[in-house]
Amino acid sequence: MNQTMPSNPNRPRWLNALGLITLALFGVGAYLSLVVSPPDVNQGQLIRIMYAHVSVAWVCFLAVIASAVFGMLFLWRGRKIHDVLAVASAESALFFAGLTIIGGMTYSKPTLNTYWTWDAKLTLTALLFALLVGYFIVRGLLEDPQRRGRVSAVIGIIVLASLPFNYLAAEWFRTLHPAKSINLDGSGVQMDPTMLQVLLFNVGVAAFAFLYFLFERVRIGRIEIAREEALEAPSGSAEVVRV
Amino acid sequence: MKRLSYGIAGIAVLIIAGLLIYRSLNASLVYFILPNEYAQQPGEYQGRRLRLGGIVETDSVRFDNESLQLTFMVTDSLQRYPVHHRGSPPELFKENTGVVVEGSFNDGVFISDNLLVKHSEVYEPPPPGESVDVEALKDSLQ
Repeated sequence: MNQTMPSNPNRPRWLNALGLITLALFGVGAYLSLVVSPPDVNQGQLIRIMYAHVSVAWVCFLAVIASAVFGMLFLWRGRKIHDVLAVASAESALFFAGLTIIGGMTYSKPTLNTYWTWDAKLTLTALLFALLVGYFIVRGLLEDPQRRGRVSAVIGIIVLASLPFNYLAAEWFRTLHPAKSINLDGSGVQMDPTMLQVLLFNVGVAAFAFLYFLFERVRIGRIEIAREEALEAPSGSAEVVRV
Repeated sequence: MKRLSYGIAGIAVLIIAGLLIYRSLNASLVYFILPNEYAQQPGEYQGRRLRLGGIVETDSVRFDNESLQLTFMVTDSLQRYPVHHRGSPPELFKENTGVVVEGSFNDGVFISDNLLVKHSEVYEPPPPGESVDVEALKDSLQ
C-alpha cells in the first residue's frame, strides 16, 4: 500500500519548474509571434493569429494520439497508471480542441469572412470535440475502474481513427479551410522560413504546456488511485484515507 | 491467440468504417461546385441554393459605393460566370484569390448573399520595400 502512496502529496519542485519554464517560453513565443514575425503579404497582421491556432491544433492531435496509445496499453496490460495517463491526455486533448475551435473562429472571421462553416475540416473538428466530451460523459457513468478504463480506451482509439481524415481533410475534400502549408511527405513548405521558425517555436510552447498538464494530472490521478484502493481495502485502511 | 484474433478483427472493422466514412464524406460533402461542373448540367442546379467556388478573375471586380453592389467574374479557367453580391467585399477579397459564394443562379448570373474567401496555404512577407500600408487600412475602415 505504501508503494502506491505518494510520500509527499504536494507538487514536486521539478513540476513547478516545468510550469514556470512553460510560462516563460509562452512569453517568448508571444514576442516572436507579435513582434519578430513579419506580416503576411495577403493577411497582413492577421497572420499572427495563425501561430496560436496552428500550434494548439497540432498539440491537440498529439494529446489525442497520447490518449489512444495509453488507452491501448491499458487494454493490453490493465495497469491503472496507463488509464490515468490516458485520461490526463484526453483532458488536454479536449482543452486544446476547444482552444483550436475558438482560435480558428477568431482567425477565420477576418480572413475567410465567416466564424463557422460546415466544410469537411471544421465538421471533423466538431466531431473530434464531441467525441472527447463523450469520453468524459461515459467515464462519469461507469463506476467499475477496470470497465471504465476499457470503455474510455476504446473511445480514445475511435477519436484517434478520425485524426487522419481531419489532418488531410483539405487535401481529400473541398474545404474552405486552407490546405496544409507544411507537407510531411517531403513536397515542401509553403511558408517563409522566419514564419516557420516562429510557428515551430509556438508548437513547442504548446507541447510544453501539454506536458505540464499531463504530469500534474497524473500526480492527481495517483492520489485518486491510492484513495480508491484504500476504500476498496477491507480493513486497516482508515488511516490511509486521511491523506 | 484469442486476443490476437480480436485485435485483427478490431483493426479490420476500423479500416472498413474508415473507408465508409471516407466514401460518404466524399459523396455528400462536396462543399462547393466549380463553374465547369455547373456548366455541365445547369438544369440540375437551376433555382437551387448552392455554393460556387473559384478564382476571382483579374480586372473583373466592380464595386458600387451607392448601392453596395459588388460584381466580379468567378472562374476555374475552364468556365467563367458573373457574380452579383450585395455588400462590401471582405478584407482579403481581391483579384486572383479564391472565393466561395453562396446563393443561386439566375439567367447565368450567380446571385450571392454570402461571400467567403478561400485563401491559399502560402504564407510569406510582402516583397522588400513594400510594407503593409497602414494608412490605406485606416482609410478602408472609415
